[in-house]
Formats: sequence, structure tokens, C-alpha cells
Amino acid sequence: MHEKYRLASSDALIHHDLDSMSLIFDRRSGITHMIADPVTAIIEVMGDAAASVAAIAEMLSSHFDVEQEVDVAEIVLARLEELRDLGLVQREGDG
Amino acid sequence: MIKDATPLIDALRDPQSVSALGDGQWSELISIARAESLIGSLAHRLRGLDLPDRVQAIFDDAIDSHELVRTQALWEADCSRRALFYVEGKTVLMKGTAYVAAGLAAGVGRSIGDLDILVAKDKLPLVEEALLDAGWEWVKPDPYDDQYYREHMHELPPMIHRERDQMIDVHHTILPLTAKPMPDPQKMLEDAVELADGLFIMAPVDMTCHCVAHVMADGDFAGGLRNLWDFHGLVTEFSAHNVQFWQQLEQRAQRHQLLQHVRWAAVLSHQLYGTAIPEQWSVGSKIRDRLTLHRLTARDGYGRETRKLTRLIFYIRSHWLRMPPMMLAKHLWTKFRRP
Amino acid sequence: MSAMHHIDIEVGPARFRVASAWRQAVSTLDQLYGHYPRVEDDLVDFTVRLEPEKPWRKFIRPSVHISGDFWLPDAAPLPLQQHLLAAEMGMNLQMALGWRRHLLLHASSVEKDGKALLMTGLSGSGKSTLSAMLGENGWRFMGDEFALLCLDSGMIQPFPRLISLKNEAIPAMNELVPADRFGPLLQGTPKGDIQHLQPQQAAVETMDVLAKPALLLFPRFGHDGALRNMGKSEIFVRLTQASTNYVALGETGFRALTRFVDEVPVKAMDYQSGDEAQAMIDKLWAELR
Repeated sequence: MHEKYRLASSDALIHHDLDSMSLIFDRRSGITHMIADPVTAIIEVMGDAAASVAAIAEMLSSHFDVEQEVDVAEIVLARLEELRDLGLVQREGDG
Repeated sequence: MIKDATPLIDALRDPQSVSALGDGQWSELISIARAESLIGSLAHRLRGLDLPDRVQAIFDDAIDSHELVRTQALWEADCSRRALFYVEGKTVLMKGTAYVAAGLAAGVGRSIGDLDILVAKDKLPLVEEALLDAGWEWVKPDPYDDQYYREHMHELPPMIHRERDQMIDVHHTILPLTAKPMPDPQKMLEDAVELADGLFIMAPVDMTCHCVAHVMADGDFAGGLRNLWDFHGLVTEFSAHNVQFWQQLEQRAQRHQLLQHVRWAAVLSHQLYGTAIPEQWSVGSKIRDRLTLHRLTARDGYGRETRKLTRLIFYIRSHWLRMPPMMLAKHLWTKFRRP
Repeated sequence: MSAMHHIDIEVGPARFRVASAWRQAVSTLDQLYGHYPRVEDDLVDFTVRLEPEKPWRKFIRPSVHISGDFWLPDAAPLPLQQHLLAAEMGMNLQMALGWRRHLLLHASSVEKDGKALLMTGLSGSGKSTLSAMLGENGWRFMGDEFALLCLDSGMIQPFPRLISLKNEAIPAMNELVPADRFGPLLQGTPKGDIQHLQPQQAAVETMDVLAKPALLLFPRFGHDGALRNMGKSEIFVRLTQASTNYVALGETGFRALTRFVDEVPVKAMDYQSGDEAQAMIDKLWAELR
């Protein structure tokens, strides 16, 4: 839980909002990704900086109304690992 | 009507030669270049010339198209790097992906299909597992093909990524195990050069040997013009930066048991593209060379394959090259019996 | 090598050299494309090849193998009687796999007042038939197969090839259009009966006149007349599926398509008959500002 995650450089990604979803076009791969909340929100709070799961979860909870009983950190970790598989997010210290 | 692929070779060798082409011949040249997977290379080669508008537009498209191919190839390479991050040992990029990753002239405009990588043979099980873990799947779950690959081939059965739809070929050496020459993959891995991002490419001499193995192993010379254009680009660039290149290539080719093949490729490349090669290399069988050139240029102005008989001779020869005769019979029989 | 005959065909911005082992195939094309501009200089974008599946099959149960500059490894051959269909499929294949100067949408298009109506959907949705009907009823026919979206301007470029009418659309259009604009009736093709129809002369003469896309419909034939709004995400996904070269165009394709989705109004339209559809379209068109 202590590893830090970082979003791919902002030069690489083009964001485009549709309605309930948004698009990310990755210039490095030519792939269009379609994302929905909470991924959209996670990406928004991450910005350019490297951040731990706990820090991201905290930013989410303070920016958005999150229900008490939900384990935000767990959700964030799962989504971050998905984004990492897609190459959109890097975990510091590895590929 | 253009009779064979000679105008394409001329255009690659001497871009000014296209000024003699009539309008209809342009259409024929373009069909031939597409059929030989050389349209991107040709487009780059003819850059800056004053061409008919419609031709220029086709070449602009080919250049853009290659740019995307290049992006995708580098991305696939990076995906494999990430997938194999925790597997010890080098991942060496091969062929087109290596050329573009290294920024070599041979990569400019080159078509790129699958991702080809070389890894140490004893790491294969780990590599296989890591790739399956990262979303690659077997293309054909056929036990015969699988067994055939594992016993006789120089690579794992092909895998495809389930989301990105891109293929990967994992090699542990550069020729089928049934082929006569036995190259030394260990040496290739040892001497591989690291790129900035943690991926490797072969050393220039090994890269050249692999290019030749690729020309000769596909003994029917399908795609031969493109493969020899690769050879031309590689040796021209390497020898310009290193006066000892040819000597080192000779030694390394000897070690990989590919010296004869390398010399022959050099002669063909010299005859096709005017590649500057050492003088003493250009001795060989004139008849064999002429027959091979006849085969290499066998395409008409509609982009059709011609000279069926010559092609057939080379096709049989190619299977002969890859497998001992009894095994060939067994292979063709098994292929034949299956639907 | 057997001799080939060929004809150059220009449709909108693209030129094809269709080469065939059968002279008769070329003369059918020559006749049906007779009112299209002649290509004088023999400079083309693509070559299509129609050849016997095996050399000895040129005369015995002849079947046409389709290939060309761009090709698919598993394209099934067609009987010689369907050579016209083979030629059209060959040209479609070149566009689908090789064209990069526009974003290709698998859609029909017609124009009125300088504005384009696009219709897209699965086969059987009626998009091709509707475009043919509208093309005879006061609209300019722009294409029944591919709508070409300009990458920089966002305009629609006409691509008015022969219209490929299928099954029930054949008798319906024969009532509307004189017989001399039809090609031969092809029965028992992989898509059922097919008959090709020449677009009106004026549609061919204006095939370099662009139109701004003003409405996109997803028609669906055989359901009670209804209109439905669609979310932008759904529209975007369905258009990427309807485009043959979205991925191949990279960032350029992404920019062109997101712009199109942002700017062009869209409706899903269910209908039971051509007349019903035309009435719904007229009403929607009148409501556009």
C-alpha cells in the first residue's frame, strides 16, 4: 500500500469528455481508452505527482461525497492496477 | 506493362530513376511495392522529389501509415518489457521493431508485423508464464503444432494479446533447430546492447547475421526484396561507422555457421541495390545468383506473383532447408491429413 | 501468366484499377460506370485483381478470387456470374484497408440544402435502401456504403459508387427508377439477391462537392416507428465499430471522430416502411436549425 503510483505524462494523453464517460487517447500506443467513475475521478486527483494509494483515497474522500462504509483504498488499488496493466499508470520502482 | 520488380529495385537504388516512369507505370510500381511490403521504404526514399500529385498523396499516406506502425511496434515492445520486468535476463528486440527502436536507417518506412523477441532458452518457461499472466494467449491450442514447435522450432508457438490483438514470437535462437547451421544465441544475448528503456537489441554483427538468417531461412525468398533491403540498410550504416565492420562480421558469421549465407546475401544485395561490399566477397556461382534474382523480381505490373516454376523450385528448396527429408514428409503428411 | 484486362474507375476522391482475367467483367463495369469521369492518365490509388481461383478454373465452373493491393487471406471466391459483386467487394476492401485521407464510416449519406444526412447501422438496417430512395426523392445521393469524413474540415466527401440493392429493395427501386440504370440481377449471392443501381447523373457530376454533416441516424427496419436519443458514449463506441480505419488513423482519427460526435445531432430511428422513414426524416430535417 506504500508504493507510489504516477499517471503517464500529460503530453502522452489526450482527454475528452463525453457524457457519463470520458475518453483517453494514448499517443504512445494509439489506443483509445474509455473510462468511467471512479477511474475518471482517480485520474483527476492524481495530477502529475506520484502518490500512494492511501493519499489518493484521502484526496478522493475529501473532493467527493463517498459513502462511509466503502473501503475507498481497496477500490483505488484495484483500479490503479488495472490502469497499470493498460500502461496508463506506473508504479514507482518497476515497469 | 512492367514485366517484373526491376523498376522498384531501381527506384530504391537510384530515386532519380523514377523520372522516366509514365503515369500508368507509376500505378504498376505502387502495386509492386505494396505487394513486396516496400511501399513505406519507397515513400521515404522518394521524399523531396517532384512527383505527380496522386502519387505523392499515396506516398504521404504510406509515410503516415508507417509512423503509426512504428508507434504500435514500440508500444508492444514496451508492453513486453513491462510483462517481463521480473524475469531475470535480457529481452532482445528483433527485426523491424529493433530497427525502429534503435533509430536505424533500415527501420525507416519498414513494415512491421509481429513483435519478435529473443530470450535465453532456460528462461522460456518463466517468459511463457509471465506473458500468459500479462494477457497473451496461445493462437492455436493444437497439441500437434505445439509439440512440433517445441521440438523443432526456434521459437515458442505464437501468442496473441487478448485485448490489443497483437502477436508476439518468442525466440530462443534465430533458426529452426532442424536447419543445418547452428547459430550461437548465447553469444547474441551476451553482446546485446541495452537501449535507454531497459530493452536490448543485438550487436551490429549479430543483427546482420540474424537478418541474413531470415533471408535464407525463408528459403523460398518470399519477401526477399524487403529482407535484402534491410540487409542493405544495416551493412551500409554499420560499415560507415566502423571500418572494421566487415572483418568483424566475417568472424561473427563464422561463429554462427552463417558465413556462406552472409556472403551470398551480400552479393545479392550488391547486385540488387548496389550495396558496397568487400571486393573479395563478390565471387560466387553466377548461375545460382541469376536464378535467385529471377525469383526475387518475379512480380508483374498488377502486383501478381509470376514465374510460378521458379517459385516452386524455391519453395521445395525452402522446406528442404528447414527440415531433414523424412521429417519433411512427416510434416507435410500431418498437415495434409488435418482439415 | 494469363492476360488481364483492366478498367480505371474514379469514385469521389479515389481511383481504382480493376483488373480481371475475364474481358466480360471489365465490359460490364465499363457500361455501368459509363457516366463516371474517365481516367485519362492511368494514375490510380488502388489495384483490384479478379482472377480464377486456380488457373484451370478460368473456364470450368469458374470462380472469381478477389485480391489486390490490400487483401484478406480468407476472402471466399464467388461464382463468375457474380463478378460485378466481386469487383465492388474488391474496391470496398481497398478503401476499408488502405484509405487514409478520410475517416471512413460504414454509413450511407444524402445531401439537401448543402447539409448531409448520414445513416449507419448493421446490415439489414435499411441504410442503403433509404439512401437510394431519398436519392430519387429530392435529395442528392452521396454514397450507400462509406461516408468519408474529412479529417481537417469535418465535412462529408461524397463517394457515390453504384448502389448495391439487396433482396426486397430490388423490386421497390425498380418501381421508382427506369430499367436502364440497373445492372444484372445477381441471385444467390452470400447476401441474397443483389442488383446494382447507377446513382443519378447529377449525383455523379457533383461527387466532388462536400456537405456539412447535419444529422446522423441509426435506422432500424421492422420495428414500430419511434425516435430515441442516444448518449455520446454509445454513439462514439458504435461509430468506432462502424469505422474501418479509426485505429489506423491514430490521433487524427480520434480528433475527427470526437469532433463529429460533439457537433452532429444523432437519433436512433425505428421504422416499418420506406414511406414512414421518409416522413420521419422530413420532419427531423425541418426541425434542424
